[in-house]
Amino acid sequence: MSTIRALVVDDSKIMRSQVKRALDQVTIAEFEYEEAMDGEDALEKFNDDIDMLFVDWNMPKMTGVEFARAVRDQGYEHIPIIMVTAEKSMGKVDKALTEGGADEYITKPFTAEKMSSTIAKFFDERGNLITGEPEEEKKSFFSSILK
Amino acid sequence: MITEQLKQAKEIPVEIVEVVKQSVINTFESIAGEAPTLVFDDTENGPLNGVIGNIAVFNPEYTFSLMLVIPKDTAIKISEAFLGMELSIESEDMGDLIAELSNILAGEVAANMETVGFRGQSSLPTATRGSDLRLFMPNKPPSAKLRFEGNVGDFLLNMALSESRQ
Repeated sequence: MSTIRALVVDDSKIMRSQVKRALDQVTIAEFEYEEAMDGEDALEKFNDDIDMLFVDWNMPKMTGVEFARAVRDQGYEHIPIIMVTAEKSMGKVDKALTEGGADEYITKPFTAEKMSSTIAKFFDERGNLITGEPEEEKKSFFSSILK
Repeated sequence: MITEQLKQAKEIPVEIVEVVKQSVINTFESIAGEAPTLVFDDTENGPLNGVIGNIAVFNPEYTFSLMLVIPKDTAIKISEAFLGMELSIESEDMGDLIAELSNILAGEVAANMETVGFRGQSSLPTATRGSDLRLFMPNKPPSAKLRFEGNVGDFLLNMALSESRQ
């Protein structure tokens, strides 16, 4: 079973715990966690070891959609971004997927089963994360934010 | 158009109240597994020992302020239903929990308000905890009070309408 390093971004500590608790019940992979309390904090904590992002929308300083867009704009086209949010109108879902470049959208409250079925699409039959992300993407991102 | 109704509103339009009522029912059903029931209540709000979650659904013209008034015993039962463990009312996480519950409710309210023509977005939630809390709206805006009973206990949703500040 592969070990996935997840960055869980939510201004609510309770919700970060809920996401981690749901991911701990996923059998396809094992998760290790980094946590961030808003988009700015997430940008600081995003590093080469992060494999997957779980991102709330409505946060102070920088929203989840802005953070997701920042990640994509820096060339990370393949890292899976899952929006985990209370926003549930179709307009919001569309905005997260198009403007934010998110891959999936889970509305709160969610079940462990919902989380599991959503992220299953990012793994192959051997339990490996499918990203296809070349290392160059990560290098260019970090060199740009360090400037 | 609902926006035209809001311009002259002395009370919150019935279709908005209905949408918010249904949103509360949906939210609590998804968290507690059982839909709460709206109950008639014409009493004055006494002081609350518990937590109040505050959030707004707003657009550039109008703001609906939502105040989720949760008594102590209900808050503890909500923590059991939502987290699988009881939080004490003094716990730091209790405020976080009720704020997040308000956030989830506002997401549902915002989505459902679109069906009656009000397109808005949620503010960030806050929570106030204490043993002698009172709701006070000095300008007496159009407002509505909805009391519910359910498997997590009783609680109130107070809603007020105001013009958005530019």
